[in-house]
Amino acid sequence: MWTYIKLAWRNLFRNKRRTFIAGSAIGIGLAALIFTDAIMIGMKDNLIHSATASFLGEGQIHHREFRQTIDVDLTITDGHAVLADLAEEPLVEHTAPRTMAFGMITSPANVSSVSMFGVDPVVEPYLSQIDEAIVEGSYFGKNTGHEILIGSKLAEILEVGLGDRVVMTVAQAHTGELSQELFRVSGIFHFHVRELDRSMAFVRLDKSQEMLNLGSEFHEIVIKFTDIEFSSNTDHPFWEKYSGEDNEALGWPALLPQLKAAFDMSQYSMFLIGLILFAVVSLGIINTLFMSMHERMFEFGVLRAVGTRPLAMGRLILFEAGALAIISIVLGTIIGFITTYIVTKTGIDYQGIEFVGAYFRELLYPVMQVQQFIYYPIYVFIFTMIIGLYPAAYAARLSPAEAMRKAY
Amino acid sequence: MTDTNQQEVIVARGVIKTYDDNGVPVEAIRGIDLTIERGEFTAIVGPSGSGKTTFLNVISGLDTVTEGEILLNGRLLSGMNGRELSDFRRDNIGFIFQAYNLIPVLTVEENVEYIMLIQGVPKAERHRRVREILAEVGLEGYADRVPPRLSGGQKQRVAVARAMVARPALVLADEPTANLDSKTGAELLDMMRELNRNSGMTFVFSTHDDMIMQRARRLVTLKDGRIESDESKA
Repeated sequence: MWTYIKLAWRNLFRNKRRTFIAGSAIGIGLAALIFTDAIMIGMKDNLIHSATASFLGEGQIHHREFRQTIDVDLTITDGHAVLADLAEEPLVEHTAPRTMAFGMITSPANVSSVSMFGVDPVVEPYLSQIDEAIVEGSYFGKNTGHEILIGSKLAEILEVGLGDRVVMTVAQAHTGELSQELFRVSGIFHFHVRELDRSMAFVRLDKSQEMLNLGSEFHEIVIKFTDIEFSSNTDHPFWEKYSGEDNEALGWPALLPQLKAAFDMSQYSMFLIGLILFAVVSLGIINTLFMSMHERMFEFGVLRAVGTRPLAMGRLILFEAGALAIISIVLGTIIGFITTYIVTKTGIDYQGIEFVGAYFRELLYPVMQVQQFIYYPIYVFIFTMIIGLYPAAYAARLSPAEAMRKAY
Repeated sequence: MTDTNQQEVIVARGVIKTYDDNGVPVEAIRGIDLTIERGEFTAIVGPSGSGKTTFLNVISGLDTVTEGEILLNGRLLSGMNGRELSDFRRDNIGFIFQAYNLIPVLTVEENVEYIMLIQGVPKAERHRRVREILAEVGLEGYADRVPPRLSGGQKQRVAVARAMVARPALVLADEPTANLDSKTGAELLDMMRELNRNSGMTFVFSTHDDMIMQRARRLVTLKDGRIESDESKA
């Protein structure tokens, strides 16, 4: 066994240039896999952060039927008790209550349907980035009770600016009576997401509760965890604990299923990219091994003639494939590490680009993980060995006389 | 069954070998009956295309016969599968090729040792026999060199050492002096003749080199795939 390993290793260096070129080709394939995976993770983190940190939150609690109906009657059962319990949860970092209702917003120039959110200006900045998204005016500065924040696109539709008056009309809970309130535009936000900028308006929580006839009740509790991983861990007992008969607690994958589906699709794309890369690389491996074999055809004939068994011939070629894989893995890991490391420092600018309801608000940084430098090299090794089976089988089937004849 | 005491090393009976050359059958050997006994130093001679190399290939089990049968050291070759043939060649036949055909990435010692390695000979025994055979072929001190750093004559001596180290019943040499100058070729042949005398191994050459013909104790001349003459020297 050791002789064949030694022989395979030395054979590989009989044509250093070819080995280097083949090793580099496979190595670049490996580096591309590592880099693409790091980018995918970075993109996922970036988009999840963008989606959850902008407004959605990492988790939410509602009345079980609220998300389907947006019925203002369906407030969270025992909302304040739930808030108090959440404050005791070690995995919860922040919470914020919200109200939500569909309504009409009217300006002297126009009218538009809108989702009116009542937020607590003090705790909301821990959960969302409304304050950071303000491009004109300020985030609930002076408490007049009549401040409203609207999106930039909505301001365009209504043809209003800072300080202009708008009227919000909503239906009250329990009675269905219409409730109207005059607001002054105190801030205009721009989330870079068309839907948010066009159809959302924020007012103070107490004002919205008053308009909606909710008393101190609310429709939604937004949650930020100490670790965002909790939000996608549906097996965690947290979700069961806060999903009772009336209420339901959901993490971001359930709240934004299209983003989750897009990530699942990205995984599939990654698999396809890997498959294509491996297919290209496999041709290189086969070519290298066959070229190397054809150069040594007489030698193969001699090895067979002196008594080397067919299986041993095949094993020799497999070891050569393995040696090539090791060289490629070393090259690929180095190239992959350097390339990815550089980009983790510089970042890639996708800022402002929207992707299934989320958008890149920050530079995209690839995320390097130890697994990338373990699993992908293992895949490359296994793959190279599998590809090596073909030339190995060819070598094993060679008859000595045929090999010697082919050499001439 | 292998019988190391029997006198007949090669027995060829009615051997015919036909090749398919792009659909055209070519008879390379057209019925050869030949017996070679233990310890012979025999040359198979003849012009190019007479069937020398083909005959060497079939008597060594490198190629199959179309008709007839070959017994090597008492074993019928046609009854063996690929693996059995490999093992049989490994244990019974030493090969010397025209172009030396050493493995360039292995040292002289590793090249010579290779056959014993696949035979499963213990390491200490392998090293002892490699040292002995290298001394016999005059290559003491060359064990750690790789073939590209040897002269043609030295390479062929390594090839002889490799062929003989496992003490086969038969050594087959296909044009062993073709790539050597006459002086080196003569020295090599004298060395092989000496090894033949000392070891009792059977040597069969395929050649049209006069030097080999002069030294051979038996000359089998082939022409058009048939034995034209078979002369033994006193």
